[in-house]
Amino acid sequence: MSAPEGAKTQRLSSKAKSAPPEQILHDLLAESPSILASIVDNLPVALFVKDADHDFRVVLWNKKQEDITTIPREKALGRTDFHMFSQESAQYFRQVDEAVVRRGKLFEIPEEIISTPGGGDIWLKTTKAPVFDTTRNRTFVIGISEDITPQIRVREQLKELNTHLTLANQQLQETQLQLIQAEKMESVGRLAAGVAHEVKNPLALLLMGVEYLASGITENDPNLPEILTEMRDAIARADRIIRGLVDYSSSRQLSLESHELLPLVENALLLTRHEVRKGNINVEVIFEKDLPPVFIDLAKMEQIFVNLIINAVHAMEGRPRPNLEIYAYATRIPEVERDEGARTARHLRSGDEVVIVEIRDNGSGISEENMQKIFDPFFTTKATGVGTGLGLSVVRKIIELHRGRISLRNRVSGGVAVSLTLKVAPTVQDELDKGPFKKKQ
Amino acid sequence: MSKKILIIDDEAGFTKLLRMNLERNGDYEVMIENHSVHALKTAQAFQPDLVLLDLVMPGLDGGDVAALFQADPKLKKVPVIMLTALVAHGETSTGSVAQAAGVTVLPKPVEMATLRSCITDILEKS
Ligand SMILES: Nc1ncnc2c1ncn2[C@@H]1O[C@H](COP(=O)(O)OP(=O)(O)OP(=O)(O)O)[C@@H](O)[C@H]1O
Ligand SMILES: [Mg+2]
Repeated sequence: MSAPEGAKTQRLSSKAKSAPPEQILHDLLAESPSILASIVDNLPVALFVKDADHDFRVVLWNKKQEDITTIPREKALGRTDFHMFSQESAQYFRQVDEAVVRRGKLFEIPEEIISTPGGGDIWLKTTKAPVFDTTRNRTFVIGISEDITPQIRVREQLKELNTHLTLANQQLQETQLQLIQAEKMESVGRLAAGVAHEVKNPLALLLMGVEYLASGITENDPNLPEILTEMRDAIARADRIIRGLVDYSSSRQLSLESHELLPLVENALLLTRHEVRKGNINVEVIFEKDLPPVFIDLAKMEQIFVNLIINAVHAMEGRPRPNLEIYAYATRIPEVERDEGARTARHLRSGDEVVIVEIRDNGSGISEENMQKIFDPFFTTKATGVGTGLGLSVVRKIIELHRGRISLRNRVSGGVAVSLTLKVAPTVQDELDKGPFKKKQ
Repeated sequence: MSKKILIIDDEAGFTKLLRMNLERNGDYEVMIENHSVHALKTAQAFQPDLVLLDLVMPGLDGGDVAALFQADPKLKKVPVIMLTALVAHGETSTGSVAQAAGVTVLPKPVEMATLRSCITDILEKS
């Protein structure tokens, strides 16, 4: 190998075509030892080597390592970590280095933070390995570091964001709870005010009666019968209000059973016969043939129909040709139906088999403004003693307990249609499909 | 001559028994109007010395009626006692007499003794 410089390159390149790769590297290193230093120096990872037999002094420090640590090679070579880093960091590095030598195994530090002389803190992922030079019987520690500061930053930001989110979520939940509580309190307050007003009126009458009776009466006072009648009525009225209120607020479990609707409706009409006749109302009951039975509490459902029929009767008072129509048919909840208005919609799923019952009158109809209030307890447009305004709120409550649906609308031809959606009673097959271990909801 | 009292309240039973109590000793001549929409006409015809007015009524409420009276030159000066079953602030269980814009407010139920002394007080002043 005494060829002149110029010929060397020439020969190398011509050899490259035929020789196996490991041979090329071997020759290359033999001919030009400095190429190794160049390779090491230009590695895209940070690399350092420490001499374990000489206090772990640095013997190699590549360019990337300079970049990451901001410590130039001249300040690193021949020095220990204690010269370059804080006492705490250096101590930690030394412990790891010693462990690597002692165990003779690779050691990975997934993340470590070091303060650089250049100022900032950086996060490194470092792998350290022992290297034994058997010919000279020396031990080195070789380390490769990767700057993971950007990843750590992102992670820290995510963590912070997550903390914010958790906090926000917590606050949201608290607010929601407060809102629920507030809504409860508000409806209780509204109810209490309504009850107070409705019950105080009969009480006022009773007090008037008592005052009259207490201030000395003769046996044949002509006012006596009337006073007593009025007092009895007042007691009945207060009792009715309290009873309605109990109905309204009772969340008693329903006893749901499979029942035919037609006999139930006929019974409700029988109970309201007096009012219907008095109003000269024509009644039509139109039920689809073979209507499936519904899953209902018989007594409560009867109460619903009585309430709705009485409402219709009142609405048709003094109107020409009053006509009440009760219409029922079976259907399935359409797949795409979305009913924002009905709070109970979630209980019915698309595809559920249901019976729709409509109670239609040709009475006064309901104004836009009142339509918003009709379900409020104590909302009534009727004279004192005629309506307490609890009817529809009780009806809605019961329908909700049935997981059904109620809606009122003005008919194009005049009057109101009340539409009830009721679940069809489960068949034996349905029960079997549920399986023995599935919990009833 | 006995003083004339007009009761405007939709509670028919209550007004009937109230009139019986007020007319008992022949102190007052009492007229009842259960429909607030007719209150003005009735008052103009009756020309009361004092009005007992319910607050919560269907159609026109007590406030509406009082406003109508205020606009009438003859009724404007007639003192009004408001009777209300509404739970209001400042109301005590014994029935406090609140002066609100020249109108006396009494809570329902009201004892005859309270009502009578209130009526005599106001009629004496006017
Ligand atoms: N079919 C109807 N046609 C027109 N208006 C109606 C009809 N049903 C209900 N309403 C209106 O809704 C209001 C509330 O009805 P709801 O049944 O809750 O109370 P109510 O009938 O007034 O008193 P009650 O407690 O005796 O039922 C009624 O006062 C009436 O104005
Ligand atoms: Mg009703």
